[in-house]
Amino acid sequence: MSRTVPGQRSSTTTARPKRPLPSPFVIVGVLSVVAITLAMGMDWRYGIGFSLTQIWEGLTRPNAPMRGLANIDVAVLLGERARDGFLETLQMALIGTIAGAAVALLLALFNSKLGAPNRVAYAAVKLFNNVIRSIPDLLWALLFVAAVGIGALPGVLALFFFSIGVVTKLTSDTIDGIDHGPVEAARASGASHLQMLRTAVVPQVLPAYTSFTMYCFELNLRASAVLGFVGAGGIGAVINFYRNLGQWDRVWGVVLGFLVVVILVERMAMALRRRLL
Amino acid sequence: MSRTDTPTTAEERFARAVRPEKPFNRLRLVVTVAVVGGFLGAALTTDANWNRLLEAPEALWRIATLMFSQLSLADLPRALSFMWESVAIAWLGTMIAAALSFPLAFLAAQNISGRVSVGITRQLLNIPRAIPEIIFAIALIPIFGLGPLAGTVAIGLSSTGTIGKLSAEIIEGCDSGPVEAADAAGANRVQRVRWGVIPQVMPEIIAFWLYRFEINIRASAVLGVVGAGGIGTLLQQSILYNQWGAAGMALIVVVVATILIDALSGYVRRRIIRGPKGRAAKDPETSASAMV
Repeated sequence: MSRTVPGQRSSTTTARPKRPLPSPFVIVGVLSVVAITLAMGMDWRYGIGFSLTQIWEGLTRPNAPMRGLANIDVAVLLGERARDGFLETLQMALIGTIAGAAVALLLALFNSKLGAPNRVAYAAVKLFNNVIRSIPDLLWALLFVAAVGIGALPGVLALFFFSIGVVTKLTSDTIDGIDHGPVEAARASGASHLQMLRTAVVPQVLPAYTSFTMYCFELNLRASAVLGFVGAGGIGAVINFYRNLGQWDRVWGVVLGFLVVVILVERMAMALRRRLL
Repeated sequence: MSRTDTPTTAEERFARAVRPEKPFNRLRLVVTVAVVGGFLGAALTTDANWNRLLEAPEALWRIATLMFSQLSLADLPRALSFMWESVAIAWLGTMIAAALSFPLAFLAAQNISGRVSVGITRQLLNIPRAIPEIIFAIALIPIFGLGPLAGTVAIGLSSTGTIGKLSAEIIEGCDSGPVEAADAAGANRVQRVRWGVIPQVMPEIIAFWLYRFEINIRASAVLGVVGAGGIGTLLQQSILYNQWGAAGMALIVVVVATILIDALSGYVRRRIIRGPKGRAAKDPETSASAMV
């Protein structure tokens, strides 16, 4: 440990302890991160050919979206098309969230070891929910547009399934962590499984569940800007309309309005959530 | 509340006792009315074609049978290579976001930076958080052309907001002990952050990067719909041209790949947070901070 290094002041100063080597986990982790990044970024068969110079060139070249951003047209928000788009977005998000969250409360009970009546139901619900959750909102919309045609309906259905996935996952995680006292009390006083869920589990998770539902509403509001790109209605359809016309000043006007709506809803939800929890 | 048959004094008292009335809960009434009213109001006024709702299960079933009856292994390599592109977009996008958000997070943390810097940076981080990836993607496609580069930059920019905000919150929640120790040893601002803050917050921040990578895979899987690269392109094209077998294969690949990567990344995340000896876990997915 105490090597004598030339220039060290005196033998009485204690030598600095050697730095421990990083753990194998860290070494392997850092190496694989570097390897993955290089493999994915390079311009070869398994990479996407990522280059910073290309990004710089793209950004410094004059382009339509940026020109539109400089001349942003806010007046478009007063038009009928934008107003209808926003209204439809709100309606879609409301219906999808409320219907999805209602189903999710039931599924969440089954999705936790405590609430599931038996192991088969638990495994089945867990698998179902994992599959639902791994399909993104836009893919749901693609499927439903193919199934029921374009309009608000496929959008509502997409948000419905998307909400089920999100709320079920978050709520069942909360159920796993609840206090078991009330559960035992309910069982001791002879409650059936359903009565136990109703009186011991649901009241405990209700504040968190409400908060997750509101969070999901925010997500759905944001998602509804996306659904319109595949024909599932909402404000996304309006954005896509102006984009296809190349009217970027209007695109940015609608996006700005959308941003304001999202931030307002988020603020309101935050205030409500603070009172709930 | 089972009553025994033999009357006792306690039993008599029980019989006389009046159950307290349930208190009237105004909040409950308001919430019920708001939820039911909002739902019905929206459902009745929206322009959705509700009579097609009844057809939806049947139509979905028809599509599902079309998809899964025409599955062919010949479609698998193409689906896998598109999925790989999606994962690459998500990974590189997350790396961009991590690099951009890391310095911003310190500028947005109240215990590190001044009030002005915190205020400005917070607002700056709020903007990309509110805009969905796809909006970034459609704006970037005319700039970078159709392809994965637009998708990567879109994912990078839009995750910067969330990662930056969460990292700032993690930094604000760090233990002040090491920071004070660094101060006492004469550290300047940069040294204080380097030795007092970063070692504490790094595991949690890296775990959140990984968590965001999982989310970004889902995002990049759909960006292809507007032409920003990845498996979304394959899905949309094959649904558009009624190539249901290819669409089904793409869907299966998306689902399986997302679940697998989630499991792998979740394992690494928990290992990073807990450390080798298993400290108290604070998984971003299960903590309330995941709600971003």
